[in-house]
Amino acid sequence: MVIVKLAVILMSILSFLWLFIFGPFYDHIAIQLLVFMGVIGWNMLRFSVRETISLLRFCFPFVLSLFVFGLIFHYVRLLGRQDWLEDTLVKCLVFPSSLIFLKVILTYITYLDILNLPISMKKRVDLITIKSAFSKGEKILRRFSWYLGTYSELKFGSKIKYAMKKYACLIIALYLYLYEEIENSNRLLRNRYQHLYEANE
Amino acid sequence: MQIKKGKYRLEDRGLNFTVCNDLDFENRGNCFYFRGGNGFGKTSFLEKIIIPRLKNDNIHYIYIGQDIRIQLYTLRALLSIQGINVPNNDEIELLRLWLNNSKSATVFIMDEFDKYFPDYGFIFDWSDSFIRTYIIVTHLSYSRPDAVAEKYRICNVRFELINFDGRFKHVRVKQG
Repeated sequence: MVIVKLAVILMSILSFLWLFIFGPFYDHIAIQLLVFMGVIGWNMLRFSVRETISLLRFCFPFVLSLFVFGLIFHYVRLLGRQDWLEDTLVKCLVFPSSLIFLKVILTYITYLDILNLPISMKKRVDLITIKSAFSKGEKILRRFSWYLGTYSELKFGSKIKYAMKKYACLIIALYLYLYEEIENSNRLLRNRYQHLYEANE
Repeated sequence: MQIKKGKYRLEDRGLNFTVCNDLDFENRGNCFYFRGGNGFGKTSFLEKIIIPRLKNDNIHYIYIGQDIRIQLYTLRALLSIQGINVPNNDEIELLRLWLNNSKSATVFIMDEFDKYFPDYGFIFDWSDSFIRTYIIVTHLSYSRPDAVAEKYRICNVRFELINFDGRFKHVRVKQG
């Protein structure tokens, strides 16, 4: 049963990627807008309005920088292309849509599903570690962002400079956290499994 | 910066504070100790009332939160983008580097810092040359590190639960 469930999830991801990112509907702005609204609605139902707003706020600087570069490329007609603006708008929708879609759909894979997978315990432990670290990482982002907002040192300079420095810090902090969290959780799980296994033996 | 006597409500946290005296954080040389039971809103008072006011008044401050283990990741990130070589596991050295680079701050807030570093006199040694006011949340009794006692006037602020109406905790905040 778990294999069927995971196969459906995998197929859904591949279909989403094929239809809306690499395939026929990529450059249809109206469809991309509908997909964007759809995944936003799905995220709100799955989690909460507050969580969705926080996720959109996280995506905003990346989308904004995409948009600004697209606008610049459009006005300087980079590589002679005249469709930079349209292409940028599509990317500004595709990026958050695909991120949110992946995030929501992957939450349907539970720890129990991982435990029921017909793979070695070592691989199960790795998968559990990754799932646990990423779900913690997601929750921690808001707190990191709050702390970064308290550091006066970041605020010297313009607002754009401040936002860029803050997001650079956010990404570094998240990376450090995930790195350590994965290592620690993995060590802990392996240790517990090893001792339980030895006790049963 | 002052928190005026009066009522302060935090809807999302279910807290309703009655501040009984004006809390004056502007006078140089004061060390405020916030005390009270768990869940009486000391951290919320710091994070939702005092810190926004400091930001609003453009007063630079240093805040060490209760979840310092989480905060340390942001400190490492902050120092690394400032081009400072960050030590791997030495938390005290990390704090020292941070304080050394935060000399524009005049207010220092610590939320249950003594939980992690029971003997935290080193914080005052590193910062009392530029900090005007300390705000310290603690569950410890009225003992205090000697480093502060010499230079700072101690002001105790009590958080007392008056009643809980099912939705809001009504908390009295009283200095002295």
